[in-house]
Amino acid sequence: MAGATRSLEIAIGRLLTIGTYASVGLVALGTILLIGRGSSPLDAAPTFDLGRVPGDLLALRPDGFLWLGILGVIVTPAARVVAALIGYARAGEQRMALVAGAILVVIAIGVATGTAAS
Amino acid sequence: METGFLMLAAGSMAGVFGSLLGLGGGTLIVPLLTLGFGLDVRVAVGVSLVSVIVTSGASAGVYLQRNTANLRLGMVLELFTAMGAVVGGAIAFLLDERTLEGLFAALLVYASLSMLQRARRDASATTAEAAADEPDRSAVEGGSPAGASPYERLSGPGYHIRNLRAGAVGSVFAGIVSALTGIGGGTVKVPVMHLVMGVPLRVSTATSNLMMGITASTSSIVYLLRGGIDPYVAGPTVVGVFIGASIGSRVAHRIHVRVIRFLFVVVLLYTAFEMARRALGVA
Repeated sequence: MAGATRSLEIAIGRLLTIGTYASVGLVALGTILLIGRGSSPLDAAPTFDLGRVPGDLLALRPDGFLWLGILGVIVTPAARVVAALIGYARAGEQRMALVAGAILVVIAIGVATGTAAS
Repeated sequence: METGFLMLAAGSMAGVFGSLLGLGGGTLIVPLLTLGFGLDVRVAVGVSLVSVIVTSGASAGVYLQRNTANLRLGMVLELFTAMGAVVGGAIAFLLDERTLEGLFAALLVYASLSMLQRARRDASATTAEAAADEPDRSAVEGGSPAGASPYERLSGPGYHIRNLRAGAVGSVFAGIVSALTGIGGGTVKVPVMHLVMGVPLRVSTATSNLMMGITASTSSIVYLLRGGIDPYVAGPTVVGVFIGASIGSRVAHRIHVRVIRFLFVVVLLYTAFEMARRALGVA
């Protein structure tokens, strides 16, 4: 069981590293496009609208890359908790799987709180 | 274009200092964006939270692969920091700008005093104290035996944790502070784990880094959905922090941290003074 847990920790570590680097890469691309078109970071920015992201990406607009990168950054830690939930459940560590599930519930409450107020 | 490069440079500076001093960069980003670029403190906090997740993700990945962070303990405590982050994220939008600035000024003074205390402790550290931080090899090696108590299950190789309830309360507080001020909360979590729960300092720092991701991510969601994250400001700042943190971790061993620490304390106290003036409406 200790071996399975150690493999899980290594896998989660890799997930965090890959997720962070990929997300920062998207944010960097968006920043290059933003500066390249002569905009200032102090210009009025669009509010978050998930539906507009695919169109902005296809049109190579900086907004799409910036929002996708920021979303990637925010979602990566939650993805790490999902991976832990699955890993601990498979290893038979029900209590740790329960803790992971409870963290996801709290994050969901955060989403609900933010959505209700927006 | 100039502003973009200036923000990139400011983010890099925050990243280098944050990495050298184990602060994650958040402590400097909020004052840099508010005092340096005239941004709303709430926008600065939103951008700082995203930067904190980036530095946490990059370093925690390495800590987990090297077996320095305690994933089990981190997950149990981050359940409480996440609760605090949801509460703090909601409160942040109810408080006015000046109250947030006043809170941040108080936090900077606290961070400065903690750093001075740490510097004094380092200077007077004896071999005996250093040995006290070493893992106790007689303890159970890295296991989580079935039927073991929660304390044993959450302990790591060579150390036993204690005061889990106090740790949970401290974690809720760290989550609230993080959501209100945009910092990772390490200034609260590391002392709680190390001094209250008996976790070795190196493990506390690594585990706190791992937890920062979930704490900041939970409050970032609230900020994102309430329009509190500006993607144009976040872009150059986040990239700058990432570059700065990478440079900081590579040069850390060549730099005399004591000198930087004292310099940083001076910068923090000056920034606290400026933030307090804004909070009081005299700036």
